[in-house]
Amino acid sequence: MLKKFALLSVALGLGLMVACSWISPKGSFAPTHPQALEQGRPTCSDCHGTDRVASTDKTFASFNHTQEFISNHKIQANQDPATCAACHAQSFCADCHGGKTAMLPSAKLGNRPDRESPHRGDYLTMHRIDGKVDPTSCFKCHGRSNNEKCTACHK
Amino acid sequence: MRCSTHLVLFATLVTGTAWAQDVAVSTTTIAQAWKQDTPGISKNLTPATEYVGIDATKLGGKDALSFHFYGWGMADLADQSYIGGKSTGDFTYGYVQYDFSKANAQLKAGRFTVNQGVGNEQVDGLSARTDLRGGFTASAFAGAPVTFRNYGNQDQSVIASQRNFMYGGRLAWHAAKVGEIGVDFLQDGTSPTTQMAPTATSAVYTRKLVGLDMKLTPWTFVDFSGRTVLDIAPTVAPAPGVNVSRLAEDDYNLTFKLAQNLSLSGSFVERNLFAYFSGSTLPTLFNQNEAGMFKATGAKATWLPVADLQVVGDVRRTDRESLGTTTRAGVDARYNLSASHVLFGVGYHNVNAFQVAAVDITTPAYSISHSEARAWIMAERGALSASLDGMRLHYSDADVNPNLNGKAFESAIVGSLGYRPKSNLKVSGDLTFQDSPIFGKQTIVLGRLEYRFGTAGKGDK
Repeated sequence: MLKKFALLSVALGLGLMVACSWISPKGSFAPTHPQALEQGRPTCSDCHGTDRVASTDKTFASFNHTQEFISNHKIQANQDPATCAACHAQSFCADCHGGKTAMLPSAKLGNRPDRESPHRGDYLTMHRIDGKVDPTSCFKCHGRSNNEKCTACHK
Repeated sequence: MRCSTHLVLFATLVTGTAWAQDVAVSTTTIAQAWKQDTPGISKNLTPATEYVGIDATKLGGKDALSFHFYGWGMADLADQSYIGGKSTGDFTYGYVQYDFSKANAQLKAGRFTVNQGVGNEQVDGLSARTDLRGGFTASAFAGAPVTFRNYGNQDQSVIASQRNFMYGGRLAWHAAKVGEIGVDFLQDGTSPTTQMAPTATSAVYTRKLVGLDMKLTPWTFVDFSGRTVLDIAPTVAPAPGVNVSRLAEDDYNLTFKLAQNLSLSGSFVERNLFAYFSGSTLPTLFNQNEAGMFKATGAKATWLPVADLQVVGDVRRTDRESLGTTTRAGVDARYNLSASHVLFGVGYHNVNAFQVAAVDITTPAYSISHSEARAWIMAERGALSASLDGMRLHYSDADVNPNLNGKAFESAIVGSLGYRPKSNLKVSGDLTFQDSPIFGKQTIVLGRLEYRFGTAGKGDK
């Protein structure tokens, strides 16, 4: 028993040493953007030009908050949330993507019409149409957890 | 959540913030009031909601250690507005995080949202990520999923085998001056269970997904991103006519920046409902045995004729195998008068669904075509801010569509005024006038108090 434990400890130790030697020696991405940014959608390439982020080799321009970026931000957020976290607190994501939300994002952010809040108006009428056209767009948020309200009617 | 869990979380919150050198707390209090009149139901609704966020950094004097919390509570002062009771709340996240100075390495413990590859999950558990030599990145998480009420709001304990534990990982590689490509894995639940569909079904599953994701920018004028997800869970034979392909999703976007002020993008999405709906907790809406594929192709042009004006034209054709084809096309524009702190936007879209088959066999066929128009403006001058947001929808076939109560229009106008006496304090009020087919005319009053103290750097971003 003792021999097995000793062998396992040595194996784990060696494994850890090998794993640590694999870790990149490069410095981490800044946890907070060093300068305060103005309100509104930032254009990263205005300051960073054609530079690339050292850790991922993506261009700073690919983070410009254009309409395309806003529409497809999920890939960037899933690949490297640390770049989002340089400017955004996680509560920013929770405005729309919270597992359970107190009210429609468009109501909570009624004073921010510039934000791309989903489900404007009462949305109850419109959801019957959106659900028929593309139920997969509903599934992303309501198919697995955020469906307490759905079950009131869709039993 | 069990009482012991509350106690542990509360103790973590208190001790975590007490050890911190920098603590930032942000609170938002929202009070609403409106009268809801629908046939047979009349309600006076006055919910009050409190959001609290805490970011405590430099825990124990260490720059790398931080604590983050966010949650909300709501109480109805008159009639019940929320499903499930007159008071409710949510502990959205609360975790301790350690950021290493090298390799973008990070550890998290507590309740957090996982965003990696195929996973977008709220869990109580642990996560870790690090960059490796040779351009590789590895990340993994494990824990108990937070919310997974099944059909009929059955408690977790009723279906103990389901979603008691989930884990996943991602291995990615970035090529110099090209971008990043990753493979992902997610398993939800340690033993098979049924989908709990309303109709008898023997579909047995353990939610198990693998994915491939990429974001490639080989040149500054090209951006290609997207992902493919496969459902690899063991399953029994699906219902007749169901597409048994295990492809859950293809979702890709290609953007060309043709000039400094002009870009064109194309998108392609396909989702196989059998595989995509795997793991649904709401099978009445997202039933794996519902036959069909969903496909969408789209194009978008973004043009900045002058520095502060953005015009976006887009068209998207969606095809749902079981119902038909829909085309949505339109234009959005937003103008930023940065010198005078005024921002405004307009948009119009037409949704043509004339090729959609009858959506309800119990009623005469009707079209779900409609148009959407929106205009908004917001301005800030010193401590004052104001915004106005109006939208109007026009539905086709209002006389036949049983969901419209004979009403072809829906409109909403939201006006908001705000005052910021101090940089960390803002008071605002919204007044909403709505006219919709289901609720008719409504006037909704909302008051909002936002207060921050400490060194909040990212709280309102």
